[in-house]
Amino acid sequence: MRRSWTHLARVTAAGAVALVMVAACSGRSTTGGSDAGGGQVTLKINFWGDFGLQDLKARYEAEHPNVKIQLNSGEYNAQHEDLQKKLVAGNGAPDIAAIDEGFMVQFRSQSDKFVNLLDKGAGSYESKYLPWKWKQSLSADGKTQIGLGTDVGGLAMCYRTDLFKAAGLPTERDQVSALWPTWDKFIEVGQQYTTTTKKKFIDAGTNLFNPILGQQPVGFYDEQDQLRMEQGPKVAFDYTVKAVGAGLSANLVSFQADWDKGFTSGAFAVLACPAWMLGHIKDTAPGTQGKWDIAAVPGGGGNWGGSFLTLPKQGKNVDEAYKLLTWLVAPEQQIEIFKKVGNLPSQPALYADPAIADFKNPFFNDAPVGQIFPKMAQGLTPQYLGRKNGPTRVAVENVIRRVENKSLKSDAAWSEAVKEAEKAAKS
Amino acid sequence: MSSTRAAPPRRPPAPQRGSAGDRRMTWRDRLYRFDMRYMPYLMIAPFFLLFIVFGLFPLLFNAVVSLRNYRLDDPTLPYWAGMENFSRLSADEDFWNALYNTFGIFLLSTVPQLLLALLVASLLNRKLRAQTWWRVGVLLPYVTPIVASTMVFSVFFSRDFGMANWALGLLGIGGADDPIDWRAGKLQAWIAIATMVNWKWIGYNALLYLAAMQSIPRDVYEAAAIDGAGPWKQLWRITVPMIQPVVVFTVILSTIGGLQLFTEPMLFDPNAQAATGGPDGEWQTIAQLIYKVGWKDLNLGYAAAMSWALFLIILVVAGLNYLLTNRLSGGRR
Repeated sequence: MRRSWTHLARVTAAGAVALVMVAACSGRSTTGGSDAGGGQVTLKINFWGDFGLQDLKARYEAEHPNVKIQLNSGEYNAQHEDLQKKLVAGNGAPDIAAIDEGFMVQFRSQSDKFVNLLDKGAGSYESKYLPWKWKQSLSADGKTQIGLGTDVGGLAMCYRTDLFKAAGLPTERDQVSALWPTWDKFIEVGQQYTTTTKKKFIDAGTNLFNPILGQQPVGFYDEQDQLRMEQGPKVAFDYTVKAVGAGLSANLVSFQADWDKGFTSGAFAVLACPAWMLGHIKDTAPGTQGKWDIAAVPGGGGNWGGSFLTLPKQGKNVDEAYKLLTWLVAPEQQIEIFKKVGNLPSQPALYADPAIADFKNPFFNDAPVGQIFPKMAQGLTPQYLGRKNGPTRVAVENVIRRVENKSLKSDAAWSEAVKEAEKAAKS
Repeated sequence: MSSTRAAPPRRPPAPQRGSAGDRRMTWRDRLYRFDMRYMPYLMIAPFFLLFIVFGLFPLLFNAVVSLRNYRLDDPTLPYWAGMENFSRLSADEDFWNALYNTFGIFLLSTVPQLLLALLVASLLNRKLRAQTWWRVGVLLPYVTPIVASTMVFSVFFSRDFGMANWALGLLGIGGADDPIDWRAGKLQAWIAIATMVNWKWIGYNALLYLAAMQSIPRDVYEAAAIDGAGPWKQLWRITVPMIQPVVVFTVILSTIGGLQLFTEPMLFDPNAQAATGGPDGEWQTIAQLIYKVGWKDLNLGYAAAMSWALFLIILVVAGLNYLLTNRLSGGRR
């Protein structure tokens, strides 16, 4: 009998091992299910850069003791790609996902994967928002609103007063704005700067291309999603190549370590500044406080960037997440974010609020940002960003980088840009 | 006679087994039989289960997806694409460029890597002071996380402040006035990436070779020395043929690794997330292109077709390398 017992034990053990293996393969995590009850709720928010949420999180948690907020800041592209993967996988998306306007069309076409905010009563927000901002996250048939806008880009030029002074240029912001009514004048000022100081004027060709393109009535794609290289992109590309050819560019790659170092080391003197860039400069180069100021951008209003908050359907606590979302876009919080990191709200009624209208940013030499950016955002012709806008932009930016590193001659650059853009449009 | 033989004697009827005396044994009997017959299968089952779940299923599913239109940003396309993805592949200049880069980097890394590993191993195989220290030392690069080492190398090969340019400047090449832009052309980018790969894998391969070399009897070398063979000749005529199975193994392993190269080219690009492998795809490898097509262009069907193409290419190249090394090292297998 002893033998048979050991046999039995062996068989049982082996069977158990096999079962555990199979279970481990097919197992689904069941944690988090307890959240759904009336008790503790954890809400995850995914975003990039600085959305000014740190302080708001603490306040919301204090007001709602049953809610815990988990902030997850990542790299801009990585966050969007991660969200896309989670949507395909059907699991793992955060309760609230931030989406940038450059990625909006891609996600808008998958509106069935997001909570339709119109069902939640978000229709009342339509009248409060800049009309183009409201439309950007509305599905093509107009029946599904997948996100509520947080900030809009607007455009201005940030410049280093100390470096301008050293180059013998005026430093007062109105005088600086008067220096460059057009992009041609801007390039001339740049040449003047580089010849006197032997330093570079702008950070990168791509950061000249993007704002100029943002000012054009039509971007890479028209509303029929057809590539339109010969209009807006050509204008922006020509100025960019001209500026690069004149030796103005420090040839840095945006949002990379060298670029961030450039802010502190004075590798460049001007930078196209959408409202959200202010927070980035402040975070990466805190030591340059007071050395920056903000002037008008050449060539009139334009938009670059701006984000939305969306609720993926996978979220376990959709109702709680919607409550938090509406709280975040409420005027009081939007104004606080604006003061904290500079992100300009997308609700024009707030621009008249003295809290914004009279606000001066101490980091930027007390520039009246509450006047500069709203004016830009309101005088704006919204640009349609096609489904393939993202890859097309990367393709053209790559051509600009090749001009900058001199592996491509500038006279051959435009036809190369058209070719690469067409390839991206078909990708 | 024949009729009696044609009718075989009937076996005793079955009921005997069911008799009371036998029933007592059945449970134990069955267990024993189970143990003998099925236990071995059960013991090896976990591997096959895991292989099916994580190996075979993805491979087959990938093949199915490669025949489909699977665009994340356009769900309106017809479900099946047939061979469309593969025919598009044959005319895709990005794919051929990536293939060219992959093979370029592969040759620049695998060949010097294995040769140097062989030399390092034969040095370590001699009598040395602090032998263990050296042996652990060559394995250090392998232990370093690949992302960490790549990021260090990516600074090492930077245009303006990189140590590579500083060192070359000391030798009179390039220098601060005319620095080499490591990311502006195919050849220099390939060399930079191949350097990262070599740095990481030389020690690892050397240890594999060393382990094989230890099993070669000393008297073979002594006999060769008496016959007048120098160290170089000993290496090529004795050592390499005698460790030939390991050489073949390392060649196949580095073929697979080299053709799947991803992390190094990815992080070498300052704009890594774009996965373009340089502004003009100077060093975009196939693995990188697959990532770009799948997650940047959101065309999973086409990316799956590329993965299958890569799989077939690896099979062919690994097979060729196997034949080649087999020949070179004189084995008949």
